[in-house]
Amino acid sequence: MTAATTDLADPGLLASDRRFAVWDWLRRHDPVRWQPVTGAGDARGFWSVTRYSDVDRILADHAAFTSERGTLLNLLGRPDPAAGHQLAATDPPRHDRMRAPVQRAMGAACARRYAAGVRDGVRRLLAEGTGAGEFDAVPVLSKLPLVVVGPLLGLPAADWPELARLAAMCAAEDDPDYQLPGGVAATLQRGHRELFAYFSTVVRQRSRTPGEDVVSLLLTMDVDGERQRPGAVVANCYSLLLGATVTLPHVPAAALAHLAGTAGYAGWAERPDLLDSGVEEALRWATPGSHFMRVARRPVELSWTGPAGTRTVRVEPGEAVVAWLGAANRDPAVFARPDEFDPARSPNRHLAFGSGRHYCLGSHLARLALKAFFAELFATFVTVTPAGRPVRVRSTFLSGFKRLPLTGQPRRRERT
Amino acid sequence: MTTVMSRDLLDMSAPYVAPTTELEVRLADLWGAKLGVWPIGVHDDFFELGGDSLLAADLQLDIDQALGIEADIATLFLAPTVAELAEVVGALLPAPAAG
Repeated sequence: MTAATTDLADPGLLASDRRFAVWDWLRRHDPVRWQPVTGAGDARGFWSVTRYSDVDRILADHAAFTSERGTLLNLLGRPDPAAGHQLAATDPPRHDRMRAPVQRAMGAACARRYAAGVRDGVRRLLAEGTGAGEFDAVPVLSKLPLVVVGPLLGLPAADWPELARLAAMCAAEDDPDYQLPGGVAATLQRGHRELFAYFSTVVRQRSRTPGEDVVSLLLTMDVDGERQRPGAVVANCYSLLLGATVTLPHVPAAALAHLAGTAGYAGWAERPDLLDSGVEEALRWATPGSHFMRVARRPVELSWTGPAGTRTVRVEPGEAVVAWLGAANRDPAVFARPDEFDPARSPNRHLAFGSGRHYCLGSHLARLALKAFFAELFATFVTVTPAGRPVRVRSTFLSGFKRLPLTGQPRRRERT
Repeated sequence: MTTVMSRDLLDMSAPYVAPTTELEVRLADLWGAKLGVWPIGVHDDFFELGGDSLLAADLQLDIDQALGIEADIATLFLAPTVAELAEVVGALLPAPAAG
């Protein structure tokens, strides 16, 4: 199969390193590409955009592209019951009124309040999960998001491992490690319903005894003079949990998979002044959420200039456009030497958190967790080397790892 | 819900079985009001009846309030029929059980 004919809805693509060559080819030769599909409800196919400028535009232009008809490929052609209720599936202006209070609760001030707790949590998970010998970075990293999301939503630590497992079923339903014997649809349904049941229980409890957490906020905030219905609160909890648990672990994983065994690790680890810019580079490098989908509300013309001159494609109302963030973040038109991990890269306007009004609500908290993680990792290990073959996740959405065996050389040697 | 859809128009996998106990009747009424579908059979799957996860979460709180008890929410999501729900809910109700 060549890049020209590659099925972008094939979960094997994100599991393979071929994805970069495919995206690169599309960016250069077919940057607005139509792919027909069958069996996706009322959709006959979808457009894919791979250039930074188009990806940025599609995500940010909410007037032309709606988020209310599914935002991920696995929802293509199906009605989204969360439309108008869940932030990610609601368009402005209502979206903005729903988002404002939640954004305040998850903003920079919140990140500062959580900083000490997150540092302790990160230290604990590294101490428990790694040692002088070999370790798999993936299970260690899978504990990272809940260090932040647990307190944010007020969820007890005892529930975190199960929540992480259910979230993986919802986001990497194609992966044999997470898939149930019933197949993809059964896996998605089970994970989804179990999480909804879990959060319904949380919502029931918080409506009785509100706390300082975001679940309580979602229950009590007024939007257009009304409270959110319980189902909407649950849908937003689900989305916040998935937004964090599914994506965050794969940022350090992708960076470590690349840096382990190279001089690049020490090159960053020995430069504490590059912690912040290095985290941005890790975000660009990993781009765990590899796409978001929008549906055109009205005819939209997308043009590009290539070797054969300028071409224009007309996207018809109702047609889906998939914006490949992973491709945009390697676009040489925006990033010099895009396939080089440069912890000092500046500027670095990556799209790992999306763009426009739906820009990741958890970005402050994600950056907090990532900085804490890398700072602690660098303080713990002088070097990290590969201890086996990394294995990537099969998914249409998630670009990440499910196994990443490493050996760390501790910075402070224990007495023998 | 202002309009009510007839169950006959839906492609249900279970044959219609009418609720019999008082509790089943009450639960079926709550389901019908939430879904806008009539009648509701005791073996009908909530999601086949047109329900979705958001509606299930809403319905659970309706049931809590109507019956004054808090049953395990997993039933509504994972075994979503009036019959299953009546069993779980019935076990929590005071002794002279409905029906």
